[in-house]
Amino acid sequence: MALEDIPRLGCGRSIDRIWATLNQPPTAHEAQCDQCQAARTRLKGLSEATRSLREGDLHNPALKPRPGVTNAILDVARAEVRRSKRILLHRTDNGTTEISEQALSSIIRFAATTIPGIHSRRCRIEIRSAADSLSGEDNPTGNSRTTTNAGPHLFVNLRVAAAAGIDIPRTVDALRREIGNAIPAGVGISAGTINITVEDLYDV
Amino acid sequence: MSDQPLRGQVITSQLIASLAARTALETRGVLRLEPTIKGFLARLGPAALQNLLNPGSQNGTYKHDGVAATISDGTAHVHLDIATDIACTALTVAEAVQQRVRERISHTGVTPGRVDICILAIEPQSWKRPT
Repeated sequence: MALEDIPRLGCGRSIDRIWATLNQPPTAHEAQCDQCQAARTRLKGLSEATRSLREGDLHNPALKPRPGVTNAILDVARAEVRRSKRILLHRTDNGTTEISEQALSSIIRFAATTIPGIHSRRCRIEIRSAADSLSGEDNPTGNSRTTTNAGPHLFVNLRVAAAAGIDIPRTVDALRREIGNAIPAGVGISAGTINITVEDLYDV
Repeated sequence: MSDQPLRGQVITSQLIASLAARTALETRGVLRLEPTIKGFLARLGPAALQNLLNPGSQNGTYKHDGVAATISDGTAHVHLDIATDIACTALTVAEAVQQRVRERISHTGVTPGRVDICILAIEPQSWKRPT
């Protein structure tokens, strides 16, 4: 015979069920049953006390976090969002090495600052991680430049604004070369494919 | 009659985390450890928030800003979130950190396990610490 652990009133009603339906009108049975009515009355008192304590905690200044704590949490949270996704660079039995998209992007933006007449804008990086590269080996020529760790294959999509009057094809080629050198030097992986879109001109 | 030798210090995940953090910061090219939201919350209330983030996890993981360490069956696993100097090759820096941390852990008598490194930021800041 199975033992039932659900607490019940003498009339057979589950106390849990009464608690769950406390905010609803009593059923026909509950409206007539003394035990159910007594239970509802007592549980309403408990419900009120619970609500009161909850409200009290919400508005208790002693329980509010200091502004510094809130700001610190938000700062870290914002930084986490900016870092975006993580890219697997290297995996051995000793552990993995990953890099955030933001860190990679900062290398690319820094390279762009060295090219006169170019203002970098949005930079998106699509990747095929080191793990994926191992399973489906392909080696598109793209703009890979140096011999470093094979790592992930990157697809860099950089949008820039160019100064009016510059030789755009030549400048963009220089930018591509700069990024192609900066990624292996700064990160230690091949640059992959670098797509650059000049989306705007600005007056010098 | 000779006294019984005392057993050495108990190696905790906190000690391993501290060792790993110090080793990372001593490695050329590492600017700092980078706190993450998980690490920050863990610092605010390690036990409760650890459970909140990893329900049911009671594996003795210690997390602080940018470092997490776990000792399991005599093997220490470490995760480090770091920022590196743009003047250095990040992957080389990470590998140096990984190797040095493993060496330092082995000196404690605990077996070094995985040392995972995540490079969260690369910044142009010159290295000041003497090598």
